[in-house]
Amino acid sequence: MSARRGRRLAEAARLLVIALAVFIAILPLLWVVLASFKTAADVSQLPPRLLFTPTLENYHRVLDAGFAAFFRNSVIITLAAVALSVALGVPAAYGFSRLRVPAERPLLLFVLSIRFVPYIVFAVPLFVILARARLVGTHGTLIVVYILINLPLVIWLMKSFFDDVPTDIDDAAAVDGANRFQSFALVVLPSTAAGVACVTILSFIFTWNEYLLALVLSGRAAQTLPVVLTRFLGGMEDPVRWGLLSASSVVVLAPVVIVTLLVHRYVRAGFAGGST
Amino acid sequence: MTRRAPSNPSPEHLQREAPRRLDWRDTGLFIGPALVALALVAVIPTLWAIFSSLFEWHFHRPDARAFVGLGNYLRLAGDPRFLNAVLVTGVYTTVSVTATLVFGTLLALLTRAPFPGKGMVRALLTVPMIMTPVVSTLVWKTFFFEADVGLINWVLGFAGIRGPAWVASSPYALITVLVVNIWFMTPFVYLVMDAALEGLPGDVIDAAKIDGANYWRRVRFVILPMLRATIVFTVIFRITIDARMFEIIHVMTGGGPARDTEVLTLWVYNSALRGFHLGYGNAGGVVLMLLVGAACLAIMLVGLRDLYRRTGST
Repeated sequence: MSARRGRRLAEAARLLVIALAVFIAILPLLWVVLASFKTAADVSQLPPRLLFTPTLENYHRVLDAGFAAFFRNSVIITLAAVALSVALGVPAAYGFSRLRVPAERPLLLFVLSIRFVPYIVFAVPLFVILARARLVGTHGTLIVVYILINLPLVIWLMKSFFDDVPTDIDDAAAVDGANRFQSFALVVLPSTAAGVACVTILSFIFTWNEYLLALVLSGRAAQTLPVVLTRFLGGMEDPVRWGLLSASSVVVLAPVVIVTLLVHRYVRAGFAGGST
Repeated sequence: MTRRAPSNPSPEHLQREAPRRLDWRDTGLFIGPALVALALVAVIPTLWAIFSSLFEWHFHRPDARAFVGLGNYLRLAGDPRFLNAVLVTGVYTTVSVTATLVFGTLLALLTRAPFPGKGMVRALLTVPMIMTPVVSTLVWKTFFFEADVGLINWVLGFAGIRGPAWVASSPYALITVLVVNIWFMTPFVYLVMDAALEGLPGDVIDAAKIDGANYWRRVRFVILPMLRATIVFTVIFRITIDARMFEIIHVMTGGGPARDTEVLTLWVYNSALRGFHLGYGNAGGVVLMLLVGAACLAIMLVGLRDLYRRTGST
């Protein structure tokens, strides 16, 4: 009888710890979303007001501050960068999975090693080279540079997805007279649609959130949201500005949080595969 | 079961047995563009960083650059600010990697057995990882770690503790950025470990259970040894992420107070892009790259050598 009671206690403790972990994990998100709808008087109250009259005033102020232009920068740069990395990376992964590649292992290790180099090592030379070419502060520059963070990820993850597709279907396609490109585009690629979704979403999250390269290379004209947030909200210590901080934070977070919660399965699969 | 030789070899069969033929055109078209792109954005800057580290090179006086060989590296060895950055990076990375590994693995073990709402819990536990780090750091800084009206000092107040000015005072600033980093990265370890646990053979664990091993002994002597390779690679990935961490520290403390939180990434940023000493700053960057590489290699050699010895002895 007491053994069963001990097990029940252990189970209760387990669920309590899990609940606490979830609470800590999502507290910053919950807090900032609630704060974004609070008035300046409510936002710094402790204990936090859970029942309050919501206001859209903070969001109006975000719009007035010209946030729409920066949101547009982020959207353009992120979508184009993701498209570029997927367009380059998916065929390359197919090549590594299916074709005979000279020096295959060294090349794959080279691709992987890029993910091990601290970004600051790339950022300083890129700034100097691109500044001389007067390319700092254009959308195109960031779009191309984001290959650094996305392409190695796309190649490695997609290669493992392609490796999971049995080569029998390539052979069947070859027997039916398909060439390499037809076999890739019409037969193998459709059977790895989940993989493509996975790498697309992960690249989207990492690009949208990226800060260091954007800080160094976006100049004034191509500032993305994370950079703007830190520049334009200096002096946030003042609680009067907390509402504005919260509303602009929610605007920055909304795309990644919504996408992640909608297609959580793919995000989880990608992270579990070691993507960071 | 013995393999039967196919009595009627099909064309598919013959094709699979034949070694893949090297077709330069196809291979070049599939992987060429990606490799060229990576060479442009990754290899050229890396080589440039190494090259410039051999020069005394100021951003605004490019014509006055002078070759100094390994002079910058020798100067680094005697530069207290740089050595401080190496130390801070080491402490920061070690504490954060260890803590996330422990918390993430424990969470994965705890969520192993089914419970109501498991799918939802797994989804919510990924939130810290996908939140824009700049935003989450700002939230921690303004709402939680704020000295006078922040949540943490308010909670501590109930225990009669007057909380410190977290972000602005030593040694609390380092603790502050570590807390955010650990919060941010524990989900990564959790997801990797959760997937790895799912892939473990259940019969081995059941056998240990039948043999009378209690839960912690099963974890210690059965489950963790089977996860060894996963743990080694997780540690390596975690080291590379923490060693390059920039935004949490840049937003939270800017490296202060008194360089308590100035990690190497921030040191390179300050030296090369704020101080404009390109050669000297890049030399520090090259050292950072080498340190990360050495740490990963050491972990891999130690972790996996042990793995082979274990499997060899059984």
